[in-house]
Amino acid sequence: MGVLVWLVALAALTYFGQSTTAIVPLAVGIALVSVWGSYYGSDKLVLTMTGAKLIQESDNPKLFGLIQEITIASGLPMPKVAIVIDSAPNAFATGRNQDHALIAFTTGILDVMDRDQLQGVIAHELAHVANRDTLVSAVAATTAGAIAILSDMLMRMMWFGGGRDRDRNSNGNPLLLVFSLLILILAPIAAVLLKSAISRKRESLADATAVAFTRNPAGLRSALEVLERDSTVVHQKSNSIAHIWIESPLDAKAVSKMFSTHPPIAERIAVLKAMESLN
Amino acid sequence: MEIIIVLGVIALVVLFFVAQYNRLIRLNISVDEAWAQIEVQLKRRADLIPNLVETVKGYAKHEQSTFDAVVTARAKATTASTVADTAAADGMLTQALRGLLAVAEAYPDLKASANFISLQEELATTENKVAFSRQFYNDNVRELNTAVKTVPTNFFAGFAKVTEREFYEVEDPQDRKAPSVKF
Repeated sequence: MGVLVWLVALAALTYFGQSTTAIVPLAVGIALVSVWGSYYGSDKLVLTMTGAKLIQESDNPKLFGLIQEITIASGLPMPKVAIVIDSAPNAFATGRNQDHALIAFTTGILDVMDRDQLQGVIAHELAHVANRDTLVSAVAATTAGAIAILSDMLMRMMWFGGGRDRDRNSNGNPLLLVFSLLILILAPIAAVLLKSAISRKRESLADATAVAFTRNPAGLRSALEVLERDSTVVHQKSNSIAHIWIESPLDAKAVSKMFSTHPPIAERIAVLKAMESLN
Repeated sequence: MEIIIVLGVIALVVLFFVAQYNRLIRLNISVDEAWAQIEVQLKRRADLIPNLVETVKGYAKHEQSTFDAVVTARAKATTASTVADTAAADGMLTQALRGLLAVAEAYPDLKASANFISLQEELATTENKVAFSRQFYNDNVRELNTAVKTVPTNFFAGFAKVTEREFYEVEDPQDRKAPSVKF
């Protein structure tokens, strides 16, 4: 990601000359402020974005018992728990650190899954908390956002008023100019690809950490099989938080594998099956 | 100039000592905490048992030997203090509870009663919590014991008064049984 920011900055410099140097910190600044807000208040923000409702232990003692089991296994503090009223089975975790963690479940997942499966799902969600994945995805989103803003600004400058600088530098290498233009166009796409790749890696890591907590890959594996069989998709208001759910809420066929925030579910099942055969 | 270098080296060495010492103390405290968690969960399970036994008795009066086994195992578990004793009593109680639940299988009325179902769920989650607190404790002990035995922390173990700790090993006859293989 850092390399990409530099590439874009360099491309901008060769294309427009010195006057654009101020734009780089500006773009990074804008992205940083907007993502910092969503990172710091992630628990509250996500609650409003998904329509999840916080619940107390008396509302669902069985679910709280299951979550307490995993907090004991992982040594994490007890997170806040929320419910999303939606018949599609899914779950997510968020919060800026262990003490502000929030995990949420749809009513659908609580209905269809048995004890061991739910335990696997909870372990996966708390693994995100233990691995600080809200921070990781915030950093990824900031850099991707900065690159997008930067390229966007520079493209606009090119159409309106970038001309003067270009005239002055017209003795520059034309091949270099074409190359920097290409970078400006491709960088935002590359940034999104990188962001998705990071998200996929963190999902696989969370599956592995979950097994380290429960020592029971079969629970999470059969939970993923339930999710695989199920074709319903959570109705949510925004695609921007697609990466936080255990199963991607976006239609798998609509997004190509490269842009997906989650590894293919069959692949995750295969990895867990390999772990089972080790026992 | 030389004096600054010498002071700097001394400061670094002191910082290194402090870090090793603190690491050992921290590991030792996490083992204590993990042990406290085991005791909390075992206590919770012990508190559940009288209620469970009473409920089962209401439906299955003629299973006195099973009830006695559970009650004796519970008494032993609540008085044990050392790691080995607690682990042994814990294993016995788990066995006895398994027997009790097996008895319950034979009484459909009991299995259908709301009280029994909620007790069963509570027992299931408590059993899991006991198992997970054991696992967490053993992970912490493993980390501490490794630190006590390996360079460089082993040089500081005596000074920090931190020694190896005992693993929590449950005697479970069912785990011991080797699977029978037939050709």
